[in-house]
Amino acid sequence: MGPDHGGAPVAISVRGLTKSYGNTEALRGIDFEVRRGEVLALLGPNGAGKTTAVEILEGYRARDGGTVTVLGLDPERRDRSLRAKVGIVLQECAVDPYLTVTEAMTQRAGLYPSPRSVGEVVDLVGLEAKARARVKTLSGGQQRRLDLGMALIGNPELIFLDEPTTGFDPSARREAWDVVRGLCAEGRTVVLTTHYMDEAQALADNVTVIAAGRVVASGPPDTLGGRDHGVTRVRFALPSDTALGELPLPPHLTPRVRAGMVEFEIDEPTTVLHELTRWAIGRGEVLDGLAVNRPSLEDVYLSLTGEAAGVEGSGGGAS
Amino acid sequence: MNDLLVAKEQVRYEQKAYWRNPMAAVFTLAFPVVFLVVVGTTSGTSRVPGTTLRYDQYTVVAMLTFGLIAACYTNLAMSICLRRDSGMLKRMRGTPISIGSYLGGIIGSTMINVAVLAVLVVGIGMGFYHLHFPYHPAATVVTLLVGIVTFGAIGLAVTVIVPNADAAPAVVNGIYLPVVFISGVFYPLSNGSVLSRIAGYFPVRHMIEALVSAFEGGPGSGLRGHDLVVMLVWAAGALVFAARRFRWEPRHR
Repeated sequence: MGPDHGGAPVAISVRGLTKSYGNTEALRGIDFEVRRGEVLALLGPNGAGKTTAVEILEGYRARDGGTVTVLGLDPERRDRSLRAKVGIVLQECAVDPYLTVTEAMTQRAGLYPSPRSVGEVVDLVGLEAKARARVKTLSGGQQRRLDLGMALIGNPELIFLDEPTTGFDPSARREAWDVVRGLCAEGRTVVLTTHYMDEAQALADNVTVIAAGRVVASGPPDTLGGRDHGVTRVRFALPSDTALGELPLPPHLTPRVRAGMVEFEIDEPTTVLHELTRWAIGRGEVLDGLAVNRPSLEDVYLSLTGEAAGVEGSGGGAS
Repeated sequence: MNDLLVAKEQVRYEQKAYWRNPMAAVFTLAFPVVFLVVVGTTSGTSRVPGTTLRYDQYTVVAMLTFGLIAACYTNLAMSICLRRDSGMLKRMRGTPISIGSYLGGIIGSTMINVAVLAVLVVGIGMGFYHLHFPYHPAATVVTLLVGIVTFGAIGLAVTVIVPNADAAPAVVNGIYLPVVFISGVFYPLSNGSVLSRIAGYFPVRHMIEALVSAFEGGPGSGLRGHDLVVMLVWAAGALVFAARRFRWEPRHR
């Protein structure tokens, strides 16, 4: 897992942040903190408020209440010195279609006090073969990579990535992940929103789940929502000529058999796995398709956001 | 960062993008030139009443005005609407660039386009319609600058009422084409007619009158203070409106 950022200075601090659009409360008082060099993934269903939260941090929206600091400054004041230290990747590719990749990057670099080298960033996002191509001739994935490059050209300390790999093919996603890992290896801070749980799992030091305008869970992806304490699911193929009752399972378990696969949940699987494998070896059998899984980040996410939606739906007061 | 230097760089990139996009150049340069040739050669050579210009020479002034409006108003409004919808404006706003540098780049580039247009149109007029080089060059330049400011400001203001890029051509052209027609761009208006009185409320007619005066031989500076003031009042109103209501982002989806 990533390095411990507990002692690093705070890059972003959000306390009691509220925002409404008309009668709709988009954010109902959220808190979170990001330390320098950390990757924070903001997760949440569409309309949960995560884009609103990010746009307030980026300085695009004014908040209604609460305190927000980004690199020690209030983003609402839109200081130029802050904008020079922040890189933003929006969901749209927003580059003049008639400029070439190198021209667009050079133009953007000219707006920053200490930009990175254009050639280096073009290489970094894998567009060296397209450096002289006009932006309008790039494929969708290439435009997204250009977008990422445009956000990095100013040598930012803090980078906001709004669904950065949507529409990428699997290998392009892996490459983009490597770029993000490289950014935090250089000590930069990254805030990313995504719908892909594997992306959050692969990149984030911490995850904050927003649902219905509130933070419903936050923490490292491996322990989010008590994942590390959750039940473990064990599956394997029922050996031929064996009845379920012959398996050496503790009496309190209630195994199921589905399509020839035995399946059960257990809090602590060490002992039962030992008994099972010893039993199988003793009979000269193998446990085909043996799988031992903890709930995935996606399972936890779905249950967390499902609960939040349930609270909203019942009209009951929130905690 | 030096804002002026950034603005200069912006002009360079605006120019690159402009000349690579055939549509923009067709509207701002080819249309006025083609109209000039077609309308000019069919206009005859008698004098326009109340001026020393012939009908074909008047067409040069009218098409210079027409092209300037296309460059400043139409092209500016369309490209701002497109950039707003595509997220380019939002993107720009997330960088350290100042609004002045960004707008300065666009306006600087537009001024170059107007200069190219003026050379082209006046050159054709001098080559084919016996037009004299403008008798009052300073007044011509001042009038063109006031025109750029006025129609650029109105172009910015009109982006406020354009809901999205798809609607931009309809709204932008729907406002300016009727005004252009009643303002004597395609045929000189007779003074005192109902149309000319209506057109007097809008800046296009004043732009033509001011340019005619700068092109004609005559005593004085060739500057038409009254016409320029009417244009600047429009410019000020449009700028105030734009400054208060300008949107950097597409309307909520």
